[in-house]
Amino acid sequence: MISNTSLNMFFPVKASALQHILFRMLLVLSLTIFCMQKVHAEAPPISSNEALSWLKKIAIAPRVHNYLGTFVYYADGHVESSHITHLVSENREQEKIEVLDGMPRIVYRDNDQMTCFLPESKRVYTEQRWFRKFFPDLLPQSLGDVDKSYHVTMGERERVAGHESQIVLLAPRDNLRYAHKFWIHVDSGLLLKAAVMDADEIIEQFAFAQLEVDREISTNLVEPGDTFDEIGWQMTNLKTVVLKEGELPWQVDGAPANFKKIIEMRRNLTGKQDLVDHIALSDGLATVSIFIEPFNEHSSPLVPGFYSSRGAINIYVRSFDDHKITIVGEVPFEAIKQIGDSVFNQQLGSVAEN
Amino acid sequence: MKNKVSAMMDGELEKREADEIIATLKKDEDIQENWETYHVIGDALRQSEKLSIDISHRVNVQLSSEPTILAPTIKPSQSIRFAKQKIFAVSIAASIVAMVTAWFGFQYQLEPQQMIIAERPSIESNRPMQPVMVSTPPPSIVYHHPAAEINDYLFVHREFLPGTVTNGQTVFVRPAVESHKTYGSYQDIRHP
Repeated sequence: MISNTSLNMFFPVKASALQHILFRMLLVLSLTIFCMQKVHAEAPPISSNEALSWLKKIAIAPRVHNYLGTFVYYADGHVESSHITHLVSENREQEKIEVLDGMPRIVYRDNDQMTCFLPESKRVYTEQRWFRKFFPDLLPQSLGDVDKSYHVTMGERERVAGHESQIVLLAPRDNLRYAHKFWIHVDSGLLLKAAVMDADEIIEQFAFAQLEVDREISTNLVEPGDTFDEIGWQMTNLKTVVLKEGELPWQVDGAPANFKKIIEMRRNLTGKQDLVDHIALSDGLATVSIFIEPFNEHSSPLVPGFYSSRGAINIYVRSFDDHKITIVGEVPFEAIKQIGDSVFNQQLGSVAEN
Repeated sequence: MKNKVSAMMDGELEKREADEIIATLKKDEDIQENWETYHVIGDALRQSEKLSIDISHRVNVQLSSEPTILAPTIKPSQSIRFAKQKIFAVSIAASIVAMVTAWFGFQYQLEPQQMIIAERPSIESNRPMQPVMVSTPPPSIVYHHPAAEINDYLFVHREFLPGTVTNGQTVFVRPAVESHKTYGSYQDIRHP
């Protein structure tokens, strides 16, 4: 045991002064650590090259492999399974996706030409595919700035639908997008499973339950054929007039970093008289659509506000000078609000004046 | 007209005449300018400390961007009385905080990077916090379903593919109650 006197022998200062010195030392120490952490946080970690090369495989695989299988969409406790048949020949990709749960729906794709059959209501919609990427063909050919928006790292290996898969994680670098987790087929590079995550919570997920890769597929499996005769079917062409960059009066000037305009177009929605302006933005993973239409006697009343649909989809409705602006996208509310509030009309000026 | 504006400022007009001038003021920008100029002149002549300046725009901007702050205010006399007593307590508290911070700091530094990524995919530490918009929520929010067009929009946005749950063309949409609270009101902009 050390008495007070013996302590004073080693530290010939008063107890209160000792306390004071200790306190100062601690303060300096904690400040130093605080600064070190600050520096650590300011230099964003660089994505792993290995992980980025796995992402490239996801983009290439659907261009070079035939496949046939069943995948499941899961969000908000809701499950929907679909059957997919994918055929690749020289310069041509054909695909059939049949939704197996709930209302029947069959989508045929021939390169960028989409046809959607709704047998119950005997409706057919045709459309030119603009950009949207869908499971398992989820990533664009050029990954571009993915590393700027997401920190991409390698995960573990896991078995999905009987196949060996490599996990790749994409953590957002800001709070304006969600995290993604991909399970990639080691042999073909096909995406076997994809999850959209908000922090630790999975908000939407696609996953193959069964998949055959590189099987021979006959063309009649991916073409409508004469199953759907045109009698009694109501055809709607969601025809699109693709416009040149900046041709629409509507522009967006405040999208989150690395969100680029993919396309701007004027389109027909379900046979309405007025065409709707449609701008699409993407950061390579998440896509945001902006729809603008004028109010008129046919319009349903505007109810501005925030809405969320199933899974990762969030919606923001607002008005601007007798127009209704609707933003739809798989991004957090902060992002759709930021995008929506920055929509302006080149002829009328910016909302920022307000 | 200028004379009448001047006369009204001096309180020399009949009510009926004054009403007429006020009505004109609302419409005519030139007369508004006169009105403001006369006030500045008047202030200068009376040697007021503050000249009449137009702050209406700045006040409006401030009001629309300021969040509503609901916080109890401490009476100044109270705070001064307690302040001196608190200094000692604060210094002890500060040293405890410093110790705890240092300890956590070491823990953080020692934790391997791989572990953080595996356990927290969002990686809070990489995430530069973006400012979140704060604006005054409307006093009462009535939630409705958005217009029917949203179904078409969702359909087009997802290109009919799985995930857009169509139930006889009705897509599942719910108002986001929390986001109204967090992100404040929607923008409703109209040009005059």
